Amino acid sequence: MSALSKTMTGGVSRIILNVYLVIFFLYMFLPLLIMVIAGFNDFSQPSVTVWKGFTLKWFGVLAGDARMWAGLLNSVIIAVAVIAISLPLGLAGALLVTRLESRYNGLLYGILVSPLLTPGIILGISTLVFWQRLDVPGGLFTAAIAQSTFISSYAMLMFMARLQRQDLSLEEAAADLGATHVQSFYRITLPFLRPTIATAAVIGFFQSFENYNTTIFSIGGQHTLVTEIGSRMRFGLSPAINVIGILFIVITIVFATLYVLFRERERKRESAR
Amino acid sequence: MNSLVRSFGTWMTAVILLLSSTWIVGMIVAPQLIMVEHSFWYLDKGGDEAALSARIDNLYNDLDILSLDKSDAELLSDEAQRAQVLAEIDSRAVAIQSEIDTLETQEVAPEKVYSLHNYTLMGKSHLLIFLKTIAASLTVTFIAFVVCYPIAYTVAKLATPGKAAIIMLGLIIPYAINELLRVFAWLMILNYNGVANFFITWMGFDPVPFLESGSGVFIAMIYAYVLFMVFPIYNTVETLDTNQIEAARDLGAPMWKIHWHIVLPHAKPGIAVGCIMTFMLSAGSYAVPYIMTRGTASPWFTQLIYNKFFESSNWNAGSAYAFTLLVACVLFIFLLMRIFKVGIREIAR
Repeated sequence: MSALSKTMTGGVSRIILNVYLVIFFLYMFLPLLIMVIAGFNDFSQPSVTVWKGFTLKWFGVLAGDARMWAGLLNSVIIAVAVIAISLPLGLAGALLVTRLESRYNGLLYGILVSPLLTPGIILGISTLVFWQRLDVPGGLFTAAIAQSTFISSYAMLMFMARLQRQDLSLEEAAADLGATHVQSFYRITLPFLRPTIATAAVIGFFQSFENYNTTIFSIGGQHTLVTEIGSRMRFGLSPAINVIGILFIVITIVFATLYVLFRERERKRESAR
Repeated sequence: MNSLVRSFGTWMTAVILLLSSTWIVGMIVAPQLIMVEHSFWYLDKGGDEAALSARIDNLYNDLDILSLDKSDAELLSDEAQRAQVLAEIDSRAVAIQSEIDTLETQEVAPEKVYSLHNYTLMGKSHLLIFLKTIAASLTVTFIAFVVCYPIAYTVAKLATPGKAAIIMLGLIIPYAINELLRVFAWLMILNYNGVANFFITWMGFDPVPFLESGSGVFIAMIYAYVLFMVFPIYNTVETLDTNQIEAARDLGAPMWKIHWHIVLPHAKPGIAVGCIMTFMLSAGSYAVPYIMTRGTASPWFTQLIYNKFFESSNWNAGSAYAFTLLVACVLFIFLLMRIFKVGIREIAR
């Protein structure tokens, strides 16, 4: 009897959970669907309630938008600069924290990850104020620096996770065979870190490209694609914004699917071992 | 230090230290300190000082007008009259210029005064907005936890691997789509002539001013940041040994007891991270209130900071506001570390 009631309640709670999941994912995806549909509506405002017919013309409108293209170029410039800054800094931080045997290790670690726990606008503001003291006005440079402050922390955490799995006996063997520190770093540590370097670069690129809160406070009179999207959303709504949404969603779906497939493959490989 | 040299040799240790200290000092510590320092002074122009500089500005205006008169006078056809007018204008210009020079020597650079002035500037109304922002962010954090815990638990422990991968994909896609675009989707729904009001009026009710009342900010904020709670909780629940749950169930523990005594204690670091991220993102969000109020509802605290910096150009007051926000976030982090009894190492992983 008790076993029966247990499976009964198990069944009921399973149904409740499934219903909950369905509602949750409707909540997550319906707004995005509405945004996508409005991008194909032949109406001058982003709307799904007033339907004037299917059109692709907003893609053309977006493609002819010079400010958006300029913003895209700025975004890419900043993102490349951010990668160039944050990978070395993140790697240096990771090597420092993993290998330094000191009682200040915890403090050091706390400072290096603190940008991740600081609101983005504060990072933007402090960078802006700091560089203004050195007579450098807000612009692409300060935006790249402000973003690198926290993207370096992401890179550091990724490098640390990888370094913790490193087999130190390889380095010792290399040293025994007469390799210099620089040689063993280039021949052993760096190749071992290569996958992480690639992942950190990709994640850093997207973190930088998508950033709004830090960038808007540190970029001065310049604009990136995302800050431009922000000001368009507030002033002069046009379905061209929905088209950007469609493009972002497609790109995101492709990358997210690749990521999940990759993860599944890794997981299967692990369990096959 | 010796341990570093042992691993990397002198040269690479020097490079590592150089890069790390550039990052720590030049990008993290110094900018924060400068911002805090900036918040504790203001430029005192003084009452007389302001009148003086206004007078100097007026005199410069007079000079400009004179030079216009001069170019007019040069077009006069009568030579004698022209010479007379030009001489008159020149002598007046010289007089004004000498007055400007004497006044400018009296003018001193505005004085830099260290005080709490920028903080007291906040006043009752801005303090109220600050408290409202904090309260709203706490509510967002709480709702996010309630919504996300079952999801995270399902993906980590209940679903079959295939189903878990699909749910994971369903979580990652909205998580990775740009924050602004997710908020924009809600702007389309909650706008005065948006989808929500379309159904509300269709059912025969009056349209609801979501954006003007400020509720739009709150709704969009939950949507924008809810997923930052899922992944940290998922990461910790996943490491829980499923045997523990099964053992408890076999021994007859009801579902809520299993969660209260086994899953939740194990997930503590993840919950702490999720709460910190969600709170920090909500309280520090500029994008969501910027888009979802369109200047009609009462502002979020971050918007006050933005206005201080880029509308009234008072960076000192702006820094003071920013530092206030930072302190609130730091206090929240320490509070959660205390409540959940977790260290910084467990938080930032």
